[in-house]
Amino acid sequence: MQTCFEHFAATSMLGCEDAPPRANGSLAFARPWERRAFGLALALAKEGYFEWEDFRQALIASIAGWERSHAEDDPSWDYYQRWLEALLGVVERAGLLDAGALEACLRWGPQAPTAECPLPNAD
Amino acid sequence: MTKRFEYSPQREAESEAKVKALEHLLIEKGVIGKNTVDQALGYFESVMGPFNGAKIVARAWLDPAFKQRLLDDTPAAIAELELPSGMAGAEGEHLKIVANEPGVHNLIVCTLCSCYPWPTLGLPPYWYKDPTFRARAVREPRQVLREFGLQLDDSIEIRIWDSSAQIRWFVLPERPVGTDDYSEEELAKLVTPEAMMGVARVVAAAAGG
Repeated sequence: MQTCFEHFAATSMLGCEDAPPRANGSLAFARPWERRAFGLALALAKEGYFEWEDFRQALIASIAGWERSHAEDDPSWDYYQRWLEALLGVVERAGLLDAGALEACLRWGPQAPTAECPLPNAD
Repeated sequence: MTKRFEYSPQREAESEAKVKALEHLLIEKGVIGKNTVDQALGYFESVMGPFNGAKIVARAWLDPAFKQRLLDDTPAAIAELELPSGMAGAEGEHLKIVANEPGVHNLIVCTLCSCYPWPTLGLPPYWYKDPTFRARAVREPRQVLREFGLQLDDSIEIRIWDSSAQIRWFVLPERPVGTDDYSEEELAKLVTPEAMMGVARVVAAAAGG
């Protein structure tokens, strides 16, 4: 049976501790950046830059790390913060960006496009 | 949408900036293309999802001949509709629909694995994979449906359809009353994944006006 990557990726998470929030059969994103972060992880794994399973393990580890340092009912829990941490980790390990490139880019802030980091304008 | 949590504004701004910078840098470096992320997201947002099932159900409500073909050979009837390619392939080829009717209510479960008719229903809710739900739905479906807020008269027969790797069932709900003048598109908007699983009815008020 042929299964496309997107299907496989989401299926592998469902029912597990790293399953993404969803509502009415669709992924539930509370904020636009969550959607981009979800799509980035999916796209990079699909393109073969890292294994989906590696990303999942990074996500599970990030969730476990948060749980160790927070109370179970801590309201600051945020699934996509953990997702983002996992994503930045696998991107770094895969060597997709030059060292310090992201930090350098962020130093200018999203509101200050420069030649070094011409960030697209906020949508 | 109700706001469930308050987010720290600073953390929000940082996360947003990080994601934006990350995508931007990856595009600049040629790691991904400008549309790569949108294409990956598109699979969930416009290719495979509950909107497909809703279209199928709405068509079946309006066209009795289509409904009959759908019941006789679900994949062949679905292929008549202009749905994204891939609906008939992959797991879509095992789709089979069962119709609710007066006196009969259908409910889908999966007692062995967690097979789910993705192409028509989208991502399964977390409880679908819960062994307790699956076991109880088979043992005491009336009670389980009551807990979902669906009261069924004792005279209504409940049929349970157990999905497997071979066949993935979904439910053709009954068309709600008061929708005689609805267009196909308006009808499709009423159809929820829960209704196509058989844990809810389709109600006209669900459109929200």
